[in-house]
Amino acid sequence: MKTASDLKLGENAIIVDIDTNHPSSRRLIEYGFTPGQRIELVNKSIFNDPIALSVRGSLVAIRRKEANCIKI
Amino acid sequence: MEEITEKKTPLISLVGAPNSGKTTLFNYLSGKNYKTVNYPGSTVEYSFAPLLEKFNLTGNILDTPGIISLNPASPDEKVAISSLYYHPDYGSPDVVLVSVDSSQLSRHLLLVQQMLRAHFNIIVVLTMGDILERKGFQVSEDALSKRLKCGVVRINGKTGAGVPRLMELIELSLSSKKTESKFNDPEFDLHHKLHEEFHHQHERHHRRNGDSSNHRRRHFSLLHLLSFFFAKRKCHDEGAHNHGNHRSINDLEKLHGVDPELLRNSHKLIHIFHEIEKIESEVLVRIDGAESSDKQKSNFNAANNQPDSFTIKIDSILLHKYWGLLFFVLIMAATFTSILWLASPIMDLINIAFSSLSQYVSQTLGDGWLSDLLANGLIDGVGSVLVFLPQIIILFLILGLLEDSGYLARGAMLVDRPLSKIGLNGKSFVPMLSGFACAIPATLAARTISNKRERFLTIFILPLMTCSARLPVYALLIAFVTPQNKPWIGGLLLATIYVFGILNSCLISGIINKFLNRGRKEVEDDSSFILELPTYKRPVFSIVATDTYNNAKQYIKRAGPIILTLSLVIWLITYFPNSNPKVDETNKTRNELVQLKNSERLENSYSAYLGKFIEPVMRPLGLDWRVGTALVSTFAAREVFVSSLAVIFKVTSTEDKLQNSILKQMREATIGNTGQKLFTTATIAGLIVFFIFALQCISTIAISKKETGGWRIPSLQIAFYTITAYLFSFLTVNGLRALGIQ
Repeated sequence: MKTASDLKLGENAIIVDIDTNHPSSRRLIEYGFTPGQRIELVNKSIFNDPIALSVRGSLVAIRRKEANCIKI
Repeated sequence: MEEITEKKTPLISLVGAPNSGKTTLFNYLSGKNYKTVNYPGSTVEYSFAPLLEKFNLTGNILDTPGIISLNPASPDEKVAISSLYYHPDYGSPDVVLVSVDSSQLSRHLLLVQQMLRAHFNIIVVLTMGDILERKGFQVSEDALSKRLKCGVVRINGKTGAGVPRLMELIELSLSSKKTESKFNDPEFDLHHKLHEEFHHQHERHHRRNGDSSNHRRRHFSLLHLLSFFFAKRKCHDEGAHNHGNHRSINDLEKLHGVDPELLRNSHKLIHIFHEIEKIESEVLVRIDGAESSDKQKSNFNAANNQPDSFTIKIDSILLHKYWGLLFFVLIMAATFTSILWLASPIMDLINIAFSSLSQYVSQTLGDGWLSDLLANGLIDGVGSVLVFLPQIIILFLILGLLEDSGYLARGAMLVDRPLSKIGLNGKSFVPMLSGFACAIPATLAARTISNKRERFLTIFILPLMTCSARLPVYALLIAFVTPQNKPWIGGLLLATIYVFGILNSCLISGIINKFLNRGRKEVEDDSSFILELPTYKRPVFSIVATDTYNNAKQYIKRAGPIILTLSLVIWLITYFPNSNPKVDETNKTRNELVQLKNSERLENSYSAYLGKFIEPVMRPLGLDWRVGTALVSTFAAREVFVSSLAVIFKVTSTEDKLQNSILKQMREATIGNTGQKLFTTATIAGLIVFFIFALQCISTIAISKKETGGWRIPSLQIAFYTITAYLFSFLTVNGLRALGIQ
């Protein structure tokens, strides 16, 4: 299954599921990453990690490791 | 808390996500006339103020640090959330204002929903309506109020529009709270009563003692008794000041009649969000007033709920692969140069002011211990605290401007990857940056790091940052080895020392991280980096200035007493027992005589005994008891090294040329009667290396103990940095000598 980490710069997708086994999953949900939301990969850091995603009208930087639990 | 009456002044707490307009609202309600208070036993700050008189309502407002949910992820959030349930000094809030950014409705309503589920008496305050209006929408107060069953008001924190309505709602909510019990659950009522009972005791105690120092213990022991009584579960006494107390928040939630699962369970959270999305679609209306039809709704979600396009444009440069790095380096370089160059003339002024004051006092009061205590103990002590202020103020000003403009979060994002490789976090960026001014505020800044291991490691390496206290020392030592005709060598050396400090911290952190990682499984790692990148905006100078003022005040409050006490102790051991030495008084001016007496006194003082006692340790570094004595004195503050050397080497001169005369004396100094020069290129290099590593700062040790909740980390720091300082200094001196450089 594809995850938010597989998004290319400028590409968007709808969240299908959040892997709730991941320790950061609750925090991600609190930032608004919930199933049904549209996210877009807006920017990447110099080393391609962390990545900046747009969700619910705001920008949130997360690590790729964390992006992996956002299923798209 | 001066005016405690039998009827408690209503407490109005202010909560909300960071950047939700909370502070603007607070400033409007308090007229910016507030005091900063700490959560007892911790360093998390709150702004506290009575409501302005013009609002015709008695009440105190407590601003709390920004949170996005009632589930804490880092130590500062833990304190923020427990204080929401119960603040040891101010009790439970009577009403909580939750600030919600209208343009971020769907995200910020999470906290509102959680607060409602946790039985808080809340009023939703909608801010930033102008941003939403530009997108053609508005939040219907009535619809949202009906849906949430709580007060909702749109306000403009700058013009004050909506504030009268807010006051009405607060008054209404306070009066209704008195007459009807909100909760029918009998068990909750019991909790509530006990809660009130505690209030009562707390206040009585307050009136009796008139201070708040013992409240925490009292409060927590009572709380634990309660939780023991109700939950039949034993609790350890770990107050909020230990940060490690999930349990304490659980207890508070229980007292509040909250099911923690309701707040924590991921599926429940997702469910809350689905509910919020439904609410959002109902309460968002087009500006023309018509209820939003389905078509308009989808219109809002798809097209209008996009991040700020201006922000994205700037980010495409500032987070760009190459340009981003370039700007990062430029911004950092500008920050450091301004700390160094802007601060130095002010620091010189402070130095001159205090040394002339000290001279004036000693001349006016004449000889004698009292005059000396005032001049050299007290005034110099105060001076050595204040001399760091310019750098700290400038650093915090720049940090504040960077943060308020929105760049700081990007900086943290840029360095997260490399820092995570050495066991740190992107969020270690701000503490490390602050460390270049002073390790004390830097250590405090580390509490935003959620992962305990990363937080402790960050705190551990902070003393390696070249703090401002080292600067006068380096200035003197570098001047010694810099040829008169080539001043640029000095500048280069100083830059090298700064870079060396950064490289060192990375290296040491990396090594410790490797060491800690042995035998650890990848899955155990809960390191995370989730950070909102705020919209870029022009920083508001008044807010930045207030923050800077508070930070500077905190620094003085924290480091001041320690540095001052130690200065006095050092004065004692350098002044006694030979307090009135006999010297040859012929052909000497008064000034020279005083200096000579000082030196004679010092040579037979307790500190000299101490210095001579540790001389065998200093010898391998090519140094003698005199430098040893100066090093002992640096525990007050590193820069005391310079003034100690001045006293020890009988420097007789006017103050403005102090450095030159110390240098002259240093060049002539020999070890014992051997004729061997004490200060050479090799020993100076050794001393510089010593100062790079050594942790000679009582204040840092104290704050490290407090922030890590025990002696483990600070004692490791002391041992590690003392050993490395000595070892590398030894290697430098003897390595250089082996190469033929004396």
